[in-house]
Amino acid sequence: MDEEPERTKRWEGGYERTWEVLKEDESGSLKATVEEILFQSKRKRVTESHGQVRLGMMRHLHLVVDCSRSMEDQDLKPNRLTASLKLIETFVEEYFDQNPISQLGIITTKNKRAEKLTDLAGNPKKHIVALKKAVDTVCLGEPSLYNSLHLAIQTLKHMPGHTSREILVILSSLTTCDPANICELIKTLKSLKVRVSVIGLSAEVRVCTVLTRETGGSYHVILDESHFKELLMLHVKPPPASSSSECSLIRMGFPQHIIASLTDQEANAAISTSSGADLSLGGYFCPQCHAKYTELPVECKVCGLTLVSAPHLARSFHHLFPLQAFTESPTEQLQKDRFCQACQGELKDKSIFSCPSCCSVFCVECDLFIHDSLHCCPCCIHNQSNP
Amino acid sequence: MASEEEINLLVIVVDVNPIWWGQQAQRATELTLSKCLDAVMVLGNSHMAMSRTNKLSVIASHFEDSHFLYPGKSWRMGDSCGDDASSSGDGKYELLAVANNLIAEEIRKVMSKTEVRGNSTDTLLAGTLAKALCYINRVSKEFEVGQEIKSRILVIKAAEDCARQYMNFMNVIFAAQKQNILIDACVLDSDSGLLQQACDITGGLYLKIPQKVALAQYLLWVFLPDSEQRSQLVLPPPAHVDYRAACFCHRNLIEIGYVCSVCLSIFCNFSPICTTCETAFKIQLPQMVKPKKKKLKQPT
Repeated sequence: MDEEPERTKRWEGGYERTWEVLKEDESGSLKATVEEILFQSKRKRVTESHGQVRLGMMRHLHLVVDCSRSMEDQDLKPNRLTASLKLIETFVEEYFDQNPISQLGIITTKNKRAEKLTDLAGNPKKHIVALKKAVDTVCLGEPSLYNSLHLAIQTLKHMPGHTSREILVILSSLTTCDPANICELIKTLKSLKVRVSVIGLSAEVRVCTVLTRETGGSYHVILDESHFKELLMLHVKPPPASSSSECSLIRMGFPQHIIASLTDQEANAAISTSSGADLSLGGYFCPQCHAKYTELPVECKVCGLTLVSAPHLARSFHHLFPLQAFTESPTEQLQKDRFCQACQGELKDKSIFSCPSCCSVFCVECDLFIHDSLHCCPCCIHNQSNP
Repeated sequence: MASEEEINLLVIVVDVNPIWWGQQAQRATELTLSKCLDAVMVLGNSHMAMSRTNKLSVIASHFEDSHFLYPGKSWRMGDSCGDDASSSGDGKYELLAVANNLIAEEIRKVMSKTEVRGNSTDTLLAGTLAKALCYINRVSKEFEVGQEIKSRILVIKAAEDCARQYMNFMNVIFAAQKQNILIDACVLDSDSGLLQQACDITGGLYLKIPQKVALAQYLLWVFLPDSEQRSQLVLPPPAHVDYRAACFCHRNLIEIGYVCSVCLSIFCNFSPICTTCETAFKIQLPQMVKPKKKKLKQPT
């Protein structure tokens, strides 16, 4: 393993005088400083987009959750395990919202072994049910990084080459109990093009640093619960695809939703993805083999065709055409009426944001909303009409 | 019954494409733009009369821009010249009278001042819906943490869909779904596939009006109740939504297609290069089967 020059650790730098950030004004109030800090924290959320980089849109992600004795620690309330599982539930929902054609699987590790909590699947409900039940598990023993990675590889290596293979490890313990040399496993991971990222709950562990560096993932250690949430949400966006991933045309089916009326025919059995078979009147029929399903996206169990609906693909479009960041400028420079062109509110903040292409002016709330949820500038859409 | 704390915000988006409305007037049908706006005002007044805490907003969607008819900027800035003209002598609740007058004044301004360029008959709903969502976002932030605000958008559509705004429209629909905002649609003329998808995804109601002259009746019967009350009523059944994708090469609706893994464009036939992102695809070749060598039996 080649040695990289290590970054200086935080304790090696000088003292940070964090109290000097707060400055009082003439009347002794801290209001201006507090507003400034709030404003900066709001702006931090709008991250830079990758630009013209190929992204891995179809993702197969394995989530490894540490259930060892250190998860009973109460530094996250009520204990680390409950807090982590709650945040992972939010993560699962966001993940399937932003990547509807991807799959997720969960693995837990404790007592020197690893076992699968849920298989790789594209349906969020199964995972959430399993996570809710997992809150009662007893945390004991040591985690095993080797065993959990090995278990994840067993399924990931069979996945087609055009998908991105990822593993996200949530590790709270500072030790791991491995049956074999983990460096060999890191070499295998590299050759299989699996990207491993780690979120540490206690402290930085060298083996994780090496693991993530070699496979191209990221390693972070949490400061508190809100930081934990931020770090988890970083993994929701599709990562840049590695240069060696293949691109291919995937055959997919777009079934119609048929609503059969009560007088038509008897209720046919539908193959349900969550629990056995369901009886339902209407559903989605696979265009190749006419098997019936209650919800999409799903992989047809009879003929193997991936079934999706057009809005599922449309959900991922905003990753491919990201919205440019708006330019910030002080409010005083604005000559015209001080109104935000999206929400018609008055511009009361100290800076305004303007879209680089249509030069319309927005307030800070609209800027956040547009970049987080809307992904399109309301005024540019209007200008699109001009051919 | 709704609790005291709940606030319902109704945003009405009216399609005022002048070419379509002009054609309507020329054909001398009963529904003209002024009658349509009368019906909208009736709905707005009824909504505000249902509860003291209900709020209303009306946006007109024109060719290249959308204008907020109510609440207007001058009204909020405390401009008092509107109030003198608005006090009507018939004892109407003042808020409703002010709203009606403001809407009438603004739409007159919009229709007379906006230039008509080109002769396209489609309206850009996506931009108007985006502005409506930003407005709802701002209003919900203005209230304190304890107060719940429930919002919905009603779209009154006249002209046809514009295919160019598909992607922006889908972005707006997903943003509305995330914020739990219902999008209802009241369609006057031709069916709109985009609005059908919007209503299906966000959980709203889609209705194509059989008789245009009875617009006010349909608005009050179908679109006035909010989402909780709708479960108690027998409303028009949901429309069958066609979720099949259109292929990028011919724009036909296909049931089985090929999707590029890089840019997610949909094709009906296999081709070695993706036309959108120009990636060359790996073609799966059939595997070579080596013929087994048979061992010759040695004659003994």
